[in-house]
This record gives sequence, structure tokens and C-alpha cells, in this order.
Amino acid sequence: MNGVSATAAGDPGVSSTEIVLGMQLPQTGGASPGYNKIDDAARAYFDYVNSKGGVNGRSIKLVTKDDEYKAGKTITTARELINNDKVFAFFGSVGTQTHLSVVKDINRRGIPDILVNSGYSGFYTDPKKYPTTFGGLGTYTVEAKILGKYLKEKYADKKIGILYQSDDFGRNALAGLTAAGLKFEAKKTAASFVSGTHGSIGLGTQIGQLKANGVDIVIIAAVSSATAVAYATAAALAYKPTKWAVMSVGADSTTFQTILGARGTAPAASAALLAGTISASHIPAAGDADDEFVKAFKKINDDFNKGADKRWDFNVLQGMNIAYIATSALMGTGKDLTRAKLVSYMEKNGAKLSSAAFAPLGYSATTHEAFTGFWLGEYDASLLLKPLDGKRVVYTTDSAGGPVTVSNYQRPAIAADALPKVG
Amino acid sequence: MRNVNLKKLIATLGASALISTGLVVAVAAPAQAADPVCVTDAKTGTITCDGTLSNGAAYRTMVPSNFDGTFFFWQHGVRPSFPYPGYTPPKGVEQMSPTSVNHKVSTIKPMLQLGYGIAAYDCSSNGLRGWNTTECVEMLNELVTITKKRISIKKTVVYGSSMAGGILTPYIEKYPNGADAVGILAGVSPSIANTLKSGCDFLYIFSVFFDPTIKGCTVMGTAKGLSGHMAVLGDFAKVGALLSQWSVDYGSLPIAYPATLAPAGIPQRSALLLAGLMAGIPTKSGHMDGVSVSATLIPEGSINSTVAILENAQDFLGTAYFGGQGVAEVVGAGFYDNTKTNFSALLADEDLGRFTVGLSGDEAVNAMLATLAAYPRVEGVPAAMTKLAALDKSKFDTSKPVVLLSNEADRLVLSGNQVYYVNKAKAVYEAKLAAWEKRLAAATDQPEITFLLKNKPVWNTVSMYAITPDTYTKFTATGAPDLTAPVAISGVGHESFTKEQLMTWVRVLAISAKTGKVPSQTVMTSYASKVPNLNTDPDYQPSELKYQD
Repeated sequence: MNGVSATAAGDPGVSSTEIVLGMQLPQTGGASPGYNKIDDAARAYFDYVNSKGGVNGRSIKLVTKDDEYKAGKTITTARELINNDKVFAFFGSVGTQTHLSVVKDINRRGIPDILVNSGYSGFYTDPKKYPTTFGGLGTYTVEAKILGKYLKEKYADKKIGILYQSDDFGRNALAGLTAAGLKFEAKKTAASFVSGTHGSIGLGTQIGQLKANGVDIVIIAAVSSATAVAYATAAALAYKPTKWAVMSVGADSTTFQTILGARGTAPAASAALLAGTISASHIPAAGDADDEFVKAFKKINDDFNKGADKRWDFNVLQGMNIAYIATSALMGTGKDLTRAKLVSYMEKNGAKLSSAAFAPLGYSATTHEAFTGFWLGEYDASLLLKPLDGKRVVYTTDSAGGPVTVSNYQRPAIAADALPKVG
Repeated sequence: MRNVNLKKLIATLGASALISTGLVVAVAAPAQAADPVCVTDAKTGTITCDGTLSNGAAYRTMVPSNFDGTFFFWQHGVRPSFPYPGYTPPKGVEQMSPTSVNHKVSTIKPMLQLGYGIAAYDCSSNGLRGWNTTECVEMLNELVTITKKRISIKKTVVYGSSMAGGILTPYIEKYPNGADAVGILAGVSPSIANTLKSGCDFLYIFSVFFDPTIKGCTVMGTAKGLSGHMAVLGDFAKVGALLSQWSVDYGSLPIAYPATLAPAGIPQRSALLLAGLMAGIPTKSGHMDGVSVSATLIPEGSINSTVAILENAQDFLGTAYFGGQGVAEVVGAGFYDNTKTNFSALLADEDLGRFTVGLSGDEAVNAMLATLAAYPRVEGVPAAMTKLAALDKSKFDTSKPVVLLSNEADRLVLSGNQVYYVNKAKAVYEAKLAAWEKRLAAATDQPEITFLLKNKPVWNTVSMYAITPDTYTKFTATGAPDLTAPVAISGVGHESFTKEQLMTWVRVLAISAKTGKVPSQTVMTSYASKVPNLNTDPDYQPSELKYQD
């Protein structure tokens, strides 16, 4: 089957009582810290939905596979999810390079591939290429454009550099920062490392290069484990840039402290390293206890999360939020649920679905990008990401050449029962 | 790592010099096939008959005492025709039915026990075995015809492996009633032209990064017969030397060519991996699963795949060299042209992402791609290129059941061949269906409607793959891959299948021949659940050929 064909009822993974979703993520391995909490969080939300009667009478079952962040394994686990687990749709799969290894096959089969936990714009900006794939994060390009514009204006007199992993995540971020007007010089203010090698190489060469070239502001576009290694390495080299700015998927504070804790760094010391770091988010800060979505999701997490590590953080919030959106989409698609109808619904109505995010979803016939905006914040001493200048301002832009502007989106409130209201 | 088996490669290569004459020689004038000589096994009652076709090719038939009327006609692929140390070209019928040497599997006994008649022919003409596909089509037709005159056959199955794909598809299209089902095992689909172009790319990239004196496909066809064979062999020796070196040092030395790239210090293994990915060589091999890592020498999955490509390269080069020389004998020298090739486009996004470590990162990849883009290209000879393109005349439009089985990581006939066949056949089927639907919508009189409803096009192809276990790489105490360990139980190698996989393929062929339709997906899924490492997912496509002309 090519792309999204109008399959009749009887698609795999959906019955009168159940909808089976499949997720691939690193549950173990070097890249797993933090991200390995997303599945348990999402499952907790689905279990909550199921406890309230499910979606149109169907319970949602989430099957997860550990790909260890190895693309070779991702191919195998995808095959298992399709052939053995008979998933109706892929949901929330984590990782850019891993997902790249299977996205073509998933789309060729017409399987919905929703709320992917990757901000790589290449998955979403050409729906003809990947008609069934929809984002679960704002694109790295959008985030980087917003971050880049702020840094360029705020630190016009400073030398700004970047540490990025040389893959589609890093390249996407670099493109966004460049679009925002920042300029980097290879081997001087731009230091890259081959994705996945940070654990073995230690990033000493890269951090040393930035230090030697007098970089004041260091932007990091890398996974959480690499961010932690970079900070630790900088500390070891006595390199103290004026400011760190870290792309959101690599900046979760709990993950940061967990990784450094495993390397022998005391919590207070790791907190001191991260404090003052600028980052961005499309959703509330996990530590924003007053946010109504945070409060509702946190309660569900307490009651339903059966994972080994259910500590509340950005990744748990993200897992809950994409489960909330997936529930919305399944509800909106209706009782006569087919793969083609879900994809069609996402494309036609997805942009109307609300969530904890402060920016709307960008889904349309011409793009499957998720959140179109981010707010910028800075970690305080308690590692709460607080809005810059004391006020949350959400900026929006696109993954192409559009300008960065202030968003006027007003996030709808969450219902008292924490279930989406669609229709 | 062991040194590459040059003797094996040379033996394989031996066929190239002889392909030519066979392919250009006209089919001999029909002569009278002699009556076969038959004997009956006193113990089993199986009647075995040996005979010769009108051109002198040998054949054998075996009919069990419980013969159920279903007769299988086997076509093994090609065999080298020159003797070499350790290898003597076989004479007469070599295989009676599907065989897997790696698994020590013979299907003769189980097929006879099931009541199937079996036949095979040596597909020989002018000293060639299997190379003259045009003649082999006619030989197969003759064998089926004379066997049907002698034996009461209810259902006919033609099936074969490897190069047989280039015989069976043309056969059923030329003789639509010549079989009730067609089976292709690890087969070319049906021309090797697309695979060959990738083989030539592979060699070209070798000449750019490793040894500018490598001529690759430009040497092919510059001489014919034995001298041509020797010229190709000489070129191959240079590549073989590289493979041997890498089998010792894992390609850790920096690329030395061209001079502009040398200072970059990119390890040779990264260029080998790049070349393999661009050619579509499997990233799993007999010993390398593409995933497993060891703490020392193989620290990352893409390094595992680099070794897999190295392990697979020797057989793939066999395809390139002996297939290329053979084709060049027919179409002439200069069939390869890469003046318009966009090498960057041959590196898939998913491969660039997955193998970024093995490729030494973005900067190394960009440097290698820039080098390829700027390097002098090979300009082909238009006449030869036209002839090569014309080799594949198949329409993929048979209505007979076709049952395919390949290893997902076949290193000789890439599994993309099967994907190519299925996609081509699917396109034909969908066009037929669309035309049928249009005609039905326009039909007004009842007889025509009745006729159309009885003749709705059906999808009559089954595609199965033997797949590998998830992981199977073994490491030595030093962290090196253990290439002396047993190879993966399934999914790798050429014509290497388990007995259960082969017999499932045979049974599906028998059922299809009897019913005229391939089994339903439900039935196929049931089969797969009982046979380890067999994938019957109709949408499974483990690889794609880089060229889809």
C-alpha cells in the first residue's frame, strides 16, 4: 500500500474494545536517561483514560519496544510492532536517527505515525514524503530560530558558539540558528561531534576548542546525556562561559542531574552547573506547580504511573501531553476508526486540538509540524525553568524563512476530569 | 578476521569468460530428444529417468510411487564453466530440487514423500550452465513438454533459484500455459542490469578512494573469451588485495586517494561503508548482525555493519565481475556510464543517520561526497548502454501464481531484486484492476457484467523472506568479531535456507498450482508462525535496489 489509502474497516490493531499503539524508544543504553520515562508517563495517561471508559468504548493499549537508540534495532522492533503486536498506529516514538530508519516503511504501509518525539523538521514539512507522520515536538528549526533571535539580540557583544551532534537534530538546530542570523565558524565557534560518541570521546576536544576560541555563549544542540558530558567536561577544563543555552530535548534538569549523579557529581554540584542555563519549552516548566495541566497530569502520574522511575519532570510531562493529544485525535476520529481516517483527522482538525502547550499544533495538509512556538526560560538555583525577564512570552515562527513573532495563542483550559473535549 | 576466500571468488569469476558465446549463439535447430533411460527403485518404487534434450542437455525426472499429479521442474542458477583448483564444473544434472549447502538440506526425499514428481535439467549449451537464459527458456519448455507426454501430470510447477529468475519470468510470459505456478528463490528479477550498475558503482568508488588503477566495469568486455576473463581477473586481484588488507586492519588506515582527500585522515573503512551503502550491499552478513557491539574493537553498531559489508563484499564483487564480464560479452564494452550519477542521492537519509559513526561524521561524509562529485566520471558507449537496458523485457503480467522467497540479507542476489519484482507485478496488477473497474462501471449488458465479475484481476503473488535473528554476532576475547563462529541460522547468504523454509515454499507452490491462486494472507501468516525466521508480511521490503530502471 502506498501512502494513505482509504482502507476499509478492519485495520490491524483496532477492535470494538481496544486500540493498540506502538512506541519505540531507548529504554536502556547510553541515550536512555530521561527519555525512558516517556512511555510510562504516556501509558499512565492512557490507563487513566481507560479507567474513565476509554475512547468510544475502546481502551488504549500502549506496546513499547526498547531500541536502545540503535537504528539497527529500531528496524527490528518496528517489524515486531507491525507483525507481532499488530499495532494500529505508531505513537510517540523517540529519536531522530532511529526513527529515520523506519519512517519510510511505516509510511509506505499507511500506518499512522503520530506525535513522534523528534523535532527533526524533515519528518514533517513535506507530507507528500511522509503522509502519515506527525510531530510530537516543535521542530528543532523553530526552536533554534526563536532561541537564536533572542541570543543574537541579547548578547550582541558576545561571541556565540555552538556544540552540536552531527546528525539531523544538530543540523536542524544549526540551520535554525543560522536563519536567526547567528554565524558560526567551523573548528572555532562551531564544535561538532559524531552523534552517539560523546560517552566515549568525552567532548574534551570540542569544549576545549570553544574555550580556546573565547566563546562566551555556548549553545548545545545534543541529547541530554551529551549535555551532561559537556557541562562536566567544561567544569573539568575550568571553562565557564557567560551563558549556556541548551535545546529543550537536551535540557531536562532531572535527567541532567541523574546522568551526572551516575558519574559521581553530587546533586548540589550538578544543580550549580545547570543553574542560569537558558532553554526553551513548548509546555509549562515541569516545576511550575501552579499550572493547571501540570497539576492535573502530576496527579495522574502519581495515581497511574507504574514505571520504575516516575519522578515528575519534563519527559514525564511530555509523555502525558502527547498521550492527551493522541486521545483527543482518537476521540475526534470517531467510532468508525481506521488508519486513513485518523491521518485525515489529524491533517484536517489536528491544529484545533489543545494541550498543555502554550503554542498550537501546526498540523495541516501542507505540514505535519507540531507545536509552532516556544517560550524561553532560565534555570534558577532550584532548577525550575523560569520565564526570561519574569514573564512568559511565547514566540512563534516556521521551519522555513518566516519571521519570529510573538504568539497570541491562548491555551484552552483543561477540563476538570483532565480528559480532552473534542467535537 | 579471515582473509577473503580468493579461490572461491576466482572460481565464481570463472564463469564470466564463457557467458558470451552462449548468449550470442542462436538456439540450435530442434533435434529429437532421445527417450530417457528409466530405473525403478525396488525399495521406494520411485522411477528415475535420465535423458537428454534436443540440444544434448541432460535432464532427470523422478516420480514417486505415490505421485499425486503435481510435477516440479527445477532450474538451478548458473555455475562457473572453467575448472579451477578445487573446482570442477559439474556435468549433467547437479541438483534435482532446492538445496541449501549451508544447512545441509536436500528436499528430494521430502518432496517425493509428499507425492510430488520432480525434474531438473542442467541448462547446458555450448559448455555453459545457466548463462544463456534465452536457450534455457526453450530447454525448460522442451522438458515440460516431453515430460507431459510421458507422464500424466495434473499440475505443473516451474521453480528455480538465483539466475533462474531470469529464466522463469520470461518462460511464463512466453508460455502462459507452461506452468500452473512459478517459484523464484533468491532470484534476479529478472535481469541483473540494475544490480550490475550498483556493482559498477561500488568498483568505481574503490578506484576513487583506494586504488586509481582499478578499472572496474570499464575493463569488462574489452576482450572476450579467456583473455577477457583474465583481464577481469587481474582487476579483481587488486580489489581482492584491498579486502584482504582490511580483513586484517579493519580499514583503519587513512584514505590515500585522491591526493586532495588524503589529508582529511578519513579511515578507509568509512569509504568502504560509504561505497557499500551506495551500492545497497546488506549491512548484515553471515557473522555480523549490524547491531551488536563489543567493548573494544566494535564499539558501535555501524562499525558492525562496516564489517558486514566487508564480509559481503567478496560475493557481491563476484556478481559485479563475473556478471559484468558476461553481460559485456553480449552488449559490448562500455555498458557502464556514471556521467549523470548523483552519488549523494545514492546515500539514503536513513543510512546517513544510522551509520554516521561508521562514516566518521558529517565532515568526512561531505568530503567524500565532494570528491566523488568532482572526480572524473566513466563515460559509457551508447550502443552498449542501450543493449543493456534492453535485456529486461519482462512485463511482470503473468496471471499464474508466483511464489518468491529470498534471504533478507542475500549478498549475491540482493533482496531488492524480489522487492523490485513484487513492485513491478503490483503496478501491473493495479493497472489491470483499475481498467477492470472502469470497464465494469461502464458495462450495461448482463453478459458482459457476468463475464467481468468472473474475471476480476487477482493479486497472485506471494513474497516471503527468510529473516535473521535479532542478534547473532559473536566476539572473541579481544573484542574482535568471531568470523569462525557458525553463520546466522537464517536470512543471510545466497540460496541458504532452512529445510522448513524451503519446504514451506514448496508447499505453497503446490497449493497455488492446484488452486490457481496463492494462499490467503491468513494462511500465509499461519505458515509463518510455524516456521522460524520466515516473514510472510506482504508489505515487507527489506531493501530496495538502488536503480529501478
